[in-house]
Amino acid sequence: MSEDIINRPVGRRRVLQAGLAIGAMQVTSPFVVKALGEVPVKIGMDNTFTGTYAELGRNEQMGSELAVQEINKKGGILGRPVVLLSEDSTSADTGTAVQKAHKLIERDKVSLVLDSVNSAMALAIGEVTAQAGVMNIVTGGHTDAVTGTDCHWNVFRICNTTRMETNSMSKLLFDKFGKKWYFITPDYAFGHTLQQGFEASLKKFGGTEVGASLTPLGTTDFSSYLIKAQAANPDVIIFLHAGQDMINALKQAVQFGLDKRFHIAGAQQELEALNGLPPNARIGNWVFEWYWNQPNVPHVKEFVAAIRKLNNGKVPTARHWFGYAATWTYALIANEKKTLDARVLAKGLEGFTLPPEVALMPDKVFFRAGDHQLMPNLYIGHAVAHGSVPEDLFHVDQVVKGIDVAPPVSETGCHIKWPA
Amino acid sequence: MTQLILYNVFNGLIIGAFYALMALGLSLILNLSGVINFAHGGFLAIGAYFAFALIPFVGFWGALLIAPILTALLGGVIERILIRPLYGRDPLYGLLLTFGLAFIIEDGTRKIWGPQTLPFSVPEWMSTPLSANYFFLTGYRLFMVALVTVAVIVLFVVLNRTRLGMRIRAGTLDLETVSVLGVNVRILRSVNFGLGIYLAGLAGVLAAGMLGLQPTIGTDLIMPSFVAIIVGGLGSLPGTLVGGLLIGVASGVTSVFFPSASEAVIYIMMGLVLLVRPRGLFGEEGRF
Repeated sequence: MSEDIINRPVGRRRVLQAGLAIGAMQVTSPFVVKALGEVPVKIGMDNTFTGTYAELGRNEQMGSELAVQEINKKGGILGRPVVLLSEDSTSADTGTAVQKAHKLIERDKVSLVLDSVNSAMALAIGEVTAQAGVMNIVTGGHTDAVTGTDCHWNVFRICNTTRMETNSMSKLLFDKFGKKWYFITPDYAFGHTLQQGFEASLKKFGGTEVGASLTPLGTTDFSSYLIKAQAANPDVIIFLHAGQDMINALKQAVQFGLDKRFHIAGAQQELEALNGLPPNARIGNWVFEWYWNQPNVPHVKEFVAAIRKLNNGKVPTARHWFGYAATWTYALIANEKKTLDARVLAKGLEGFTLPPEVALMPDKVFFRAGDHQLMPNLYIGHAVAHGSVPEDLFHVDQVVKGIDVAPPVSETGCHIKWPA
Repeated sequence: MTQLILYNVFNGLIIGAFYALMALGLSLILNLSGVINFAHGGFLAIGAYFAFALIPFVGFWGALLIAPILTALLGGVIERILIRPLYGRDPLYGLLLTFGLAFIIEDGTRKIWGPQTLPFSVPEWMSTPLSANYFFLTGYRLFMVALVTVAVIVLFVVLNRTRLGMRIRAGTLDLETVSVLGVNVRILRSVNFGLGIYLAGLAGVLAAGMLGLQPTIGTDLIMPSFVAIIVGGLGSLPGTLVGGLLIGVASGVTSVFFPSASEAVIYIMMGLVLLVRPRGLFGEEGRF
């Protein structure tokens, strides 16, 4: 009899150890470095390349890569080539994100840090970059505090605040679909501030919050929350998730028939999520932060064509635009001011207007001086099962100006302190 | 409130049945081969992606039938080439191998199908609730329970009433004696591994109908399956089944009172079981 016939015993301890290890597997991952050779001007991206926000993080990275290609073709920054160094923060571990930010700043000596889909990470990285005196553009973390109570002199943000998103949607939902709302909210900074935004609007309009469920990030089974929501009998069920959580929640909401009994809506919706949903689950009213199908806006077609080349023929999403606009913003201001000095560039960006070929929106798009928040357009509309072409899954009903829905700087809680 | 709790108990049973399906596959492989299959979630994803690729050609039902079989065949090949040489060695070897395999499978599916979530559709009639009074009864969840029930019954009939099943059960208890009695243990292990992976593939097709199909679809589901095995008791397939159902119900009921703890509760439950009854609810004393 050969030796391999007999199993070595697997003890309970071993299975427990295995369980621990598999848990660790979900928070650790090999870091991604895309170095392009010699690095005169280094831009570091600390973003969510694995986990529930992997696709969103990767799309921001792709947008940034396209911008780097274009910048280099046009002579780089201060005549020097630009490279993008990318680090995976994972989707949920803020400690990893902070560690990667330190690495980019201290070891790689980047001039700019771009981050992050995850709001909690954006806040934490903002602290790190402010202390280090490095320019920081937040591409995709929406929580208000980034350009509100936790704002910094060196931190600018491309994507909208959660309050801008909820303000843009609230009136429509209240007037058209009813005054009793139920929230299903992801249990972290992004979800909390979105819910607070809607609650403030609800209070203003005299509506009622009939209930709310906080769901852990990465929830797979939403049934118990959906059961609670239907028991509360609201007019509107508001889903405040992003990424994979949004897909799982909507897919299951449709299977429970919630879309037949209540109006489904939310704040931010993304093409990535609508693409991942079966046609019958592409439902509800939402706000998009950028949309690829804008036939009358200059330069959009060229951007769509350029991303298609990098993205296996697929159209860009708002995430691509975030990465693209953030990277171009830095190159434009550095070339205009002829320096990489963070303080000079930060001062220069206050009130800075993006040129049409970077803004890719109908109205003036600029960084507000008081809180460093970009004031773009927002696209209010509804999801459609099938569009004019397969990727046209959102119908824009109305375009609003960011400056019209953003609370004034005095209400954001932002007081920028400049270093001596 | 009572109604809400009752709904969540029933719904928890439904989700628990799904966890149990995955855990049974893990348990089968662990019991006979002594391999803690970290790549089980990866095989689940492969089953789901195979189904996605097959649906345009053979429809949902055809894919449901074929995808788990293809996954099992792939599992058999991997067992033959990679896992078989590690039998008889310290379980750490198998653990490390399947750990690496999980990453390879995840990146492999990402390479082939892309990182984006794919729109996996189920037949229209399943995407509706079946009763206005019993809200938790949706077509898809009822279908899941029915399928899991059939799969579990067939599995237990195979294990208890067929020669193959008897050999697997005997091998679980004393593989050396089974070998001495003339059973080809290598083939037995391969078939058993394939059977375990078949269950993972089946769970994958079911999961894709409920969740977004993307490369990490199995990663989020594998931890509850490990917990189900430990709560139910190592070495006991009925225990694994009960473990799965228990954690499903615990998670569902907790979400009524304290949603943030709905995932943590299954680990608290595992801790309690380990403290009070370290071999698990149905585990045999002294065996593990």
